[in-house]
Amino acid sequence: MVSQHGILLAVGIISDHFGPLVAKVCDCLLRHGELSLQEIVRRLELSPGQVKNSLLVLIQHNCVQAFSAPKGRDRTVTLYLAIFDNVLHRLRFSKFLSVIRADIPESEVLIEGLLQNGRLTFDQLVGRTISKVPEGSIRPAREEIRMNLNKLVHAHFVERCPKPEPFIDPLVVQQPTSSRRRAPKNFEKVISLEQKIVNTADLSDAERFSEIPYIIEDASDVNGCSRDPVDSAKRKRGAFEVDEELNSTIAENEVLWRANFEQFTFCLKKKFCADRKKLKLKVGTHPIWESFCEANLTEKDTDSVTSPINGILERLRQKEGGASMTLDQVTRVLEDLQCTTSNENPEAYTFDLRKMVESCRNEEIESLVKKKYGQAAFTIFRLLVTQGGPVETDQIIDTTILDKQIVHSTLYKLWKDDYVDTEKISSVAGTGYAQFYVWRAKSTFREQFIDNLYHAALNLRQMVNYIAELLLEGSKDDTKLRNRKNILILALTRHDDSLMLFHDF
Amino acid sequence: MPPRKRPLEPSSGKPPPPDVKAIVPPPSDPPAAAQEIPPISAAILNNLPGPEREVYKRVYAAGNKGIWSQDLRHSMQLAAPTVTKLTRALVQRGILKEVTDVRHRGKKVFMDSRMEPAPEITGGTWYHNGQLDTEAVAAVRRRCLDQIDRLGAATPDMVHKGVEREDPRAGYMIDQIRDILKTMALDRVLEECRSTGEGEFSAVRSGRVCYRRGGAPQGGMIEGIPCGVCPRIDECSPDGVISPTTCVYYKKWLQMDF
Repeated sequence: MVSQHGILLAVGIISDHFGPLVAKVCDCLLRHGELSLQEIVRRLELSPGQVKNSLLVLIQHNCVQAFSAPKGRDRTVTLYLAIFDNVLHRLRFSKFLSVIRADIPESEVLIEGLLQNGRLTFDQLVGRTISKVPEGSIRPAREEIRMNLNKLVHAHFVERCPKPEPFIDPLVVQQPTSSRRRAPKNFEKVISLEQKIVNTADLSDAERFSEIPYIIEDASDVNGCSRDPVDSAKRKRGAFEVDEELNSTIAENEVLWRANFEQFTFCLKKKFCADRKKLKLKVGTHPIWESFCEANLTEKDTDSVTSPINGILERLRQKEGGASMTLDQVTRVLEDLQCTTSNENPEAYTFDLRKMVESCRNEEIESLVKKKYGQAAFTIFRLLVTQGGPVETDQIIDTTILDKQIVHSTLYKLWKDDYVDTEKISSVAGTGYAQFYVWRAKSTFREQFIDNLYHAALNLRQMVNYIAELLLEGSKDDTKLRNRKNILILALTRHDDSLMLFHDF
Repeated sequence: MPPRKRPLEPSSGKPPPPDVKAIVPPPSDPPAAAQEIPPISAAILNNLPGPEREVYKRVYAAGNKGIWSQDLRHSMQLAAPTVTKLTRALVQRGILKEVTDVRHRGKKVFMDSRMEPAPEITGGTWYHNGQLDTEAVAAVRRRCLDQIDRLGAATPDMVHKGVEREDPRAGYMIDQIRDILKTMALDRVLEECRSTGEGEFSAVRSGRVCYRRGGAPQGGMIEGIPCGVCPRIDECSPDGVISPTTCVYYKKWLQMDF
């Protein structure tokens, strides 16, 4: 369940991007869950046309998924569900673009088109790409654009859009269709209805990332450029080719493509963990860590990074001071960096991102506790978190070696702000005490922290909009206001890293 | 209820396996003498009148944890002034003493004057006159940190020996050093880890729990903006009395007058 400020933030983003009407529909869906068109119309008192158009916009931008659900015995109804994660991803499109700029720079314009327009066919992408070329420059060939899109699909940055309206019975527990999403047997994760619907709507991995077949056609040359004679020579003829051509035409004209946010999130997660780890590295180990991150080729799951030792060494040789390092030194450093090898593949090192993310989350919360309540609170809170269970007041005093009065006042402050919970336990006769107090870190402190993150992001956005309004009025010093606005936008971008750490990683 | 401090354990016959890879056999620690409780004094009992003798017996029975004057009053079913008079007389004669209970500083706790108060009463090794000796704690933390900086990664035993070598008069017990190291790990000044027996852990036997310097403090991403540490965040809403556009913290942060 999304917290109150999370909903407000998502609605704020939609309102800024698509206007108040679409935001109203999104708000309704986020608050009430899956609803039919009639139910939305009834709740919002808008015309069916307005709601329908708003839903179309939201679906086009992957913020809403439609699905059919049974109604009565043999009737079905179309329900609409807001996808909160995808709404929030709209905050970080600039980060997604920078990922592509670093990885596949030639495909940047394509991903920009998909992020701006949500879903596009290849033909639309070609048209858009050509229209973006400045006058006088060489227009890119259709084949070149196809190749660039295929690169994005191959790297899983772009995928084919999910089924438009899958049949789902919300009462029946659905199994995830995608093998990539399947959790290990011993790890039973509770999947939300939203996730179940998204999983059911998703195509299989083979379909999702199926590239446009490489067939050259004489006709339908959008930009009018003539074909490369060498490429044309490759063309084959026959019944088989007709099917291939048909597939290619369908893939170009009918298949809708969209950005795969999961892959972007994984890239940002890897980058975040790599940067965070860098700060803890000892002198001389930086090149090894960098080589390990760069050598990552196969991505089995989004919770770990695996790199073959040969790849690591190859990259290390290209770095300053890396050529002189022996295999023994490198493996020792990798082990020290908590990179492990498995029995299946002893030549590859794996780094557990999940563990790293978990420790980063703890560090963030502990750091806030330290800033707000001081060093003593930091120590006590860490003790309670590491112990996991209830700890008696005197035991806290003994373990932390802090003054009793300080411990008491700190525990009170933490309890008042809902970081810790307390319980009074009656003492048995003969101990000389009537009762004891035990303390434990509250299980909800993380949810509360995340809600505060949403609240802070919401406030930053509100301030950006407020300054934008002041700029439109033109009553104040423009340069000063513009600088303040830039500070706020930068702060929001940085703050989004925290949001991603707690919500997406 | 758990004891306030681990009592000092007498050394067992079998020495524990060494943490450090044997280079020079470490000198054995002197056995920590368990605190002995003196037997009840017949001479004192014979010299005391009836009610005072009864008070003394009860206080003696409470041992080194002492007895609270209220408990004494209830157990003897006497009036408060009478108990006060009796205990005062015994204190003046040097038979009983009044000690401060670290947990309840306002309580009057009496004890046989020949006994040393238990750690539950005194607060343990880091307390002096019922108050935490912050200077002593800070001093031993500094010494431990110096040893860790010198050794790289070290077990509590190694740190203890290093501290003893540098200042033999300090007289810290291994348990004290262990407690301090644990607190420093909680503070993230140190990091608790298991030795691999290689690299920086080459001096420590593989698998042993040891301590090394914790990395630079991380986190604090949310603290960069006013809302991160705002005490009024719960009262803030987009259209409320407290909102970002009326926020004094934002005004100060952006150095602007709205």
